[in-house]
Amino acid sequence: MKTHELDRELKAANPLPWQVLATLGIAAAEAELGEAIVAEPVGAGAEAEAGAASHPRRPRRTLLALAGGLAALTAIVILLLSGGTQDGATRAYSADLVRFAEASPLLLLEGPGWRVQNAVEENRREGIDGSIEFVTGKPIPYESITITGSSKAERESGMFPPAVRRRRVELFWRHGSLAEAISTQRSGLHPHGQRWIKLPVLDTTAAVDTRAESFVNQGGPGNRQMVAFWSESGYVLELRAAVPDQAAFEERLGWLTKVDSQAWLDAMPAKVVKAADHEAAVREMLKGIPVPSTFRPSQIPDEGLTTDRYQVGAKVTATVSCLWFLQWAEARRTGDRQAELEAEKAMATSRHWRILREMAKDGAYPETIWELAAEMPSGVWEWAGRRHPLLPRAESLGCARLGLPLLSRKQKLQRERGAPLPPR
Amino acid sequence: MPDSTMADALPRDLAEQRFARLYRDNARGVLGYALRRCADPEDAADVVAETFLAAWRRLGEVPAGEEGRLWLYGTARLVVANQQRGERRRSRLAEQLRAELRRRLPAEMPPDPTGIVEALAALEEDDRELLMLVGWEELTPAQAARVLGITPLAARSRLHRARRRLRARLAESEASDSREIELEAKEAGR
Repeated sequence: MKTHELDRELKAANPLPWQVLATLGIAAAEAELGEAIVAEPVGAGAEAEAGAASHPRRPRRTLLALAGGLAALTAIVILLLSGGTQDGATRAYSADLVRFAEASPLLLLEGPGWRVQNAVEENRREGIDGSIEFVTGKPIPYESITITGSSKAERESGMFPPAVRRRRVELFWRHGSLAEAISTQRSGLHPHGQRWIKLPVLDTTAAVDTRAESFVNQGGPGNRQMVAFWSESGYVLELRAAVPDQAAFEERLGWLTKVDSQAWLDAMPAKVVKAADHEAAVREMLKGIPVPSTFRPSQIPDEGLTTDRYQVGAKVTATVSCLWFLQWAEARRTGDRQAELEAEKAMATSRHWRILREMAKDGAYPETIWELAAEMPSGVWEWAGRRHPLLPRAESLGCARLGLPLLSRKQKLQRERGAPLPPR
Repeated sequence: MPDSTMADALPRDLAEQRFARLYRDNARGVLGYALRRCADPEDAADVVAETFLAAWRRLGEVPAGEEGRLWLYGTARLVVANQQRGERRRSRLAEQLRAELRRRLPAEMPPDPTGIVEALAALEEDDRELLMLVGWEELTPAQAARVLGITPLAARSRLHRARRRLRARLAESEASDSREIELEAKEAGR
């Protein structure tokens, strides 16, 4: 047997691999032990006694207070930072960013070995919605699940194995009605039936769907999907996790901790673009992207929200693409063939935009732009055997939200009424 | 080397902060180390308690960062060895952790279809420990050398020999299994 084969077999035979170790529900007991150790005398000698006298022994909770400002003994103090303040200095954030941070629930999942992998916020009419993805162990990439077969013989592909899925927890927050959120969840697909319970979370009680699996192939012993709903500070909160059992889900709820805006922002990983870096990130992303003469960097929204490179990349490329489509649509209307070709040629380069190639590893947004660019010369896109005008499809990039609507109000109404395809 | 007390080495506040960071970053790893070597999970809880108590009392000696982790493994190794020599003590500090481990850990060891765990157990202690540090704690040979208190060159050389011996044990075990199967077949044929 070759050395690498032997090593592989030995590694596979590990009776307690890290991913199992990390999910043991012993956080409270570990915290208790840590505190008890610090409360132990350090020596029997006079020097130790003198030391203790000049520094009066603190209450046992001090260990946790010093380690992260936690108030609850049930949460272990392990907040691993993968970026930010590694030199121990306090980072200053802009007032805008702090204000937006404080508009969110400011919750972190403080479990042993867990960290923030990603965070996204969006400014909606009703307020700021957002989500945070916590992981433990190796980073978990984007999961793309394909369903084939009939409802009686469903096959899913692309789902990560339970041991990987258990290493991720997602927390969502939005404005809205808690009752509506629960009702929506109840009405969703539950191939294994429904079982709802109540569990404590922070200072309140959550309604928990303990059989939230939506795929037929999930839900076996040790392979559960659970989701908790509760309201807090005007938000509807939702925590989703794949877990082996209810006890593990309860543990994850127990790890949720309220922090201040500094700690929350400090916990964001390096890839999450902070407001202070937004301008530099946009400049870097625009390199190699042809922009129309109407483009101004200020057209790319900077709402001062904590977000990640993927979201910033989407806004940058959507703004540029919408502007090219505006030029293209106007050129077709006025018969300016040169301007029309310029837009088509510029969008054809999108396959080589570095930021889109980076984003393609994490999501499907780049494919949308590439398909639109490919369809530009014909002006139509095909679906279900029929041709459809391209401009309404391009509008789905979010052009109206960017202040760059592609369709006039009349065109929108015509579209809604099913108007025939305009001639080229 | 004389022990240096925490009070001598660092102001109390700083010591507590330093220990908190050391503990939060390494407690679970040290527990894993102990669980993989102790027959009883309750013994592993005591190993964690004694290891970190030693770290608290000798905080001035514990290196920062990655080296601190290796220091902890080295200390845990000595605690485990003491336990195996019969110097088992139930630490009152670890009472709750013991109880939780009894509840949370699976009652049975995972299956060993290739027989590699059995072969590992049959090796000499030094060989076994080195293979486990590299294979299960996922240390590099240089890091394992720090834990064992040997040079990196010695660690690489011993690792090479340990792998050879493990291969030999596996081969013996496979040959023995084959002989047993043949024998059973003969018995069945009678």
